[in-house]
Amino acid sequence: MNNLIYVNLGNSMIKDTRFTQSEGKVLMLGNEALVRGCLEAGVSYVSQYPGTPTSDIGEYFHQVIRDNPEFGEWLVHHWAVNEAVASSACAGAAWTGCRTFNPMKHVGLNVASDALSVIALNGPNPGGMVVSVGSDPGSLGSHQEQNERFYAWMLHLPTIEPHTPQECKDWVKIAFDLSEKYDLVMNVRTSTRSAHSRGFVELGPLVPGKKSGEFIRNIPKFNSLPPHAINNHIRLYERIEKLREALPKLGFNRIVPGENKIGIITSGMPFGYTMEALNQLALNDVPVLKLGMIYPLNYKQISDYLQNLEKVVIIEELEPFLEVKIAEIAHNQRIDVEILGQKFFPKSNEFSTGLVATSLAQIFNKKPNEQMTKAVDYFNSYKEIIPSRFPTFCAGCPERATLYSILKATNNLANTVISGDIGCYVMSFFPPQQCSDLVICMSGGLSAAIGMSTKTDQNVIAFIGDSTFFHTGMAPLAEAVGYNSNLLLVIFENSWTAMTGHQDDVLRFLINKGFSIEKICRAIGVPWLKVEDSYNPKKLTNTIEEALKIDGLKVIIIKRECGLQAHRWRMSQIKSLQEDGEKVQDVSYFIGGCSLCHECSRILSCPAIRRVTTDGIEEMQIDQDRCIKCGVCYEICPNGAIRKSIINVFGEEVPFREI
Amino acid sequence: MKFNETDIINIVIAGTAGQGVITLKRLIEFASQKANIERNFGSEMHGLAQREGAIMSHTRYQKKIFSNERRNLHSSLICYGDADLYICFEPVETLRRGIFASNKTSFVINDRDIPNILVTADMEEYPSLEKIKEILSGYNDQVFFMNATELSLSNFNSNQQVNLIMLGFAIITGKLPFIEVDHYEEVIKEWLRDPDLNIKALHLGMEKGKGIISA
Repeated sequence: MNNLIYVNLGNSMIKDTRFTQSEGKVLMLGNEALVRGCLEAGVSYVSQYPGTPTSDIGEYFHQVIRDNPEFGEWLVHHWAVNEAVASSACAGAAWTGCRTFNPMKHVGLNVASDALSVIALNGPNPGGMVVSVGSDPGSLGSHQEQNERFYAWMLHLPTIEPHTPQECKDWVKIAFDLSEKYDLVMNVRTSTRSAHSRGFVELGPLVPGKKSGEFIRNIPKFNSLPPHAINNHIRLYERIEKLREALPKLGFNRIVPGENKIGIITSGMPFGYTMEALNQLALNDVPVLKLGMIYPLNYKQISDYLQNLEKVVIIEELEPFLEVKIAEIAHNQRIDVEILGQKFFPKSNEFSTGLVATSLAQIFNKKPNEQMTKAVDYFNSYKEIIPSRFPTFCAGCPERATLYSILKATNNLANTVISGDIGCYVMSFFPPQQCSDLVICMSGGLSAAIGMSTKTDQNVIAFIGDSTFFHTGMAPLAEAVGYNSNLLLVIFENSWTAMTGHQDDVLRFLINKGFSIEKICRAIGVPWLKVEDSYNPKKLTNTIEEALKIDGLKVIIIKRECGLQAHRWRMSQIKSLQEDGEKVQDVSYFIGGCSLCHECSRILSCPAIRRVTTDGIEEMQIDQDRCIKCGVCYEICPNGAIRKSIINVFGEEVPFREI
Repeated sequence: MKFNETDIINIVIAGTAGQGVITLKRLIEFASQKANIERNFGSEMHGLAQREGAIMSHTRYQKKIFSNERRNLHSSLICYGDADLYICFEPVETLRRGIFASNKTSFVINDRDIPNILVTADMEEYPSLEKIKEILSGYNDQVFFMNATELSLSNFNSNQQVNLIMLGFAIITGKLPFIEVDHYEEVIKEWLRDPDLNIKALHLGMEKGKGIISA
């Protein structure tokens, strides 16, 4: 329901002033607060590749620039083609003396790490550079779960973990000051939970960023090659130690005092769960050290804290990152304190108050809260009957229709491997289509297919979307051409970065300049290439069958706009024609005489189709609210039970737009 | 139920993608600011908004905070069993998020089911409304259903007003303390397209809710 105007709507009528008002107290998500913090810190260049939970950061920057053109005079936001490009772009702008901001999701840091490892070594001065890595414990919006905090050690990336939106806003500002002062790339680490939790934020004054800067040659600093590589590495240690010395004055860490001889060390969102769990268990004398800076650590503060304790409980999500360092501090300082962490807390998934309370009850030998245990028990008694509701392709999605044709062409994937990838089509593995056998990373599907096809006679089909094609897909395609790999690559050209919410990204600019994946494939030398439309499923099925009979590299480009965007565009066209008094064809599809063969529900599985029982008779029905009139079910129904109706036959026909 | 100003109010809003879960959460939060609520911290789900997925948000607020910080609201997630109110746009989504409910919870539920694709494919079963009611009656007798989708369709010729109707319904439970109807109306006028229509939907939900909850 898009009735809240400031939510991802381009046609905003009411201005959202929270980012640009001069003062006051406003409600903000963690991500919104980061953006406000950047505007209070004088950031003038932002670059990122979209990815949950950081995609909306860029949308807020766009909103600010769109609604307030004066900000656009000095503030630039780029949707980069991938995370490594974004990080290097931010470094480039920082090296002209500007402040630059570089958000990315946790797996984005894997891609960016190649660039960041050098940028961190060189240092962002004369400007300042802050990355914001959105971690995802619980894999709430990602293809994997990883503890990317360990990059802090490897890259020497000082890392701050805010808990509330207020901390997000305040700390990103401080991070810029520290980045400039110590020549360090700083990381303000969020999580899916902190990025998308809302709370009050006291605003500070806005500071315009630098409109322009200048690069000043400094070969030793910016060329980390021998002999400068070693010098920069030594200099990096020195910079980190200077920051560590400054830590006590920065106020990132704080202690909730208590007399108990068992204390807690935690950071970020787990601090909230910990405080509420302690209150629930009436453990009101347990001291809590909340770390705002998790790398580098304030050794003295931690060892002073440990001195007074018999046991310390480390509460952190994912692999023990703080725990190993705190154990090291205790060991080096010869402090006799028992360290409890991974023994009582899981090393995977997101934490919650309930989970923390359960573990603390064990540690402190307390009876868990009865209201909570009863709630868990009762829930467990009925949870088996809850039907699954996983995300799936939207009604009318051209990718879903492509999977239908693949299932038909391969006789339900007989002797066929689908090497999947990241994009909406990552959802291909879900039932009932189950049309993706593996996923690695952005463009990993095509790369895996290259190797696999040398070792198996099975049909190997790889997927890639247009945004992933840009991200890192062209390189493995060149390799597949070079070796004439015996595989079929299906490129979903839907003209949007759809999975992350249709950002107005560089793909849009390229499309406006006439860019074509087909031309790139031809230029790179793809030997067998077809451009198809999945809304014509019979033709596409034939083409896939044909492709699978040929040895060597085959590419089929599915050229069809994302169904959501296509539907929005078509509805707006229809609306404006009707407003001009034009008659418009009103197309709809309906089902009559359904024999419940399940071709539409199990092989196509469009969510606009539902199974209903009318007067004791079961049949399929098309939900008119959700159907976008793509007509694919009409094309594939083997019994002709899906009918097409056109009201106003002589009115204007409004087809989907060509891309 | 009487609330103290220092109590933490916990609301679970559940539904499926596109039903307006996040919008409703934000409305309550922005209205709570109008009501001078001192602390507000709640979590919402982003990223899969259009893809038929199950959506939940937690809204939490505390009118007055304690000087002893150990007793205050610190987490944007509700603890198991600690929800005061469930606002559910789809029956089975109430069960999916059931772990946060207990005998103190009131439930307001839209009775319109949205079967998932595996139910349509006859590969999974959607529990009957009677079964869902039976399970929820295991919590308490504060379980209320409304045909909000039908009301929205018949009154506004669209299902877009379901969330405002459900807000009106929820207000009648008394489990959204310290926030007045005026506060919601102010926020609707500031933030929503078509505020008159949405305010009408809010009042329709309240009016129908009174009939259901006092019955």
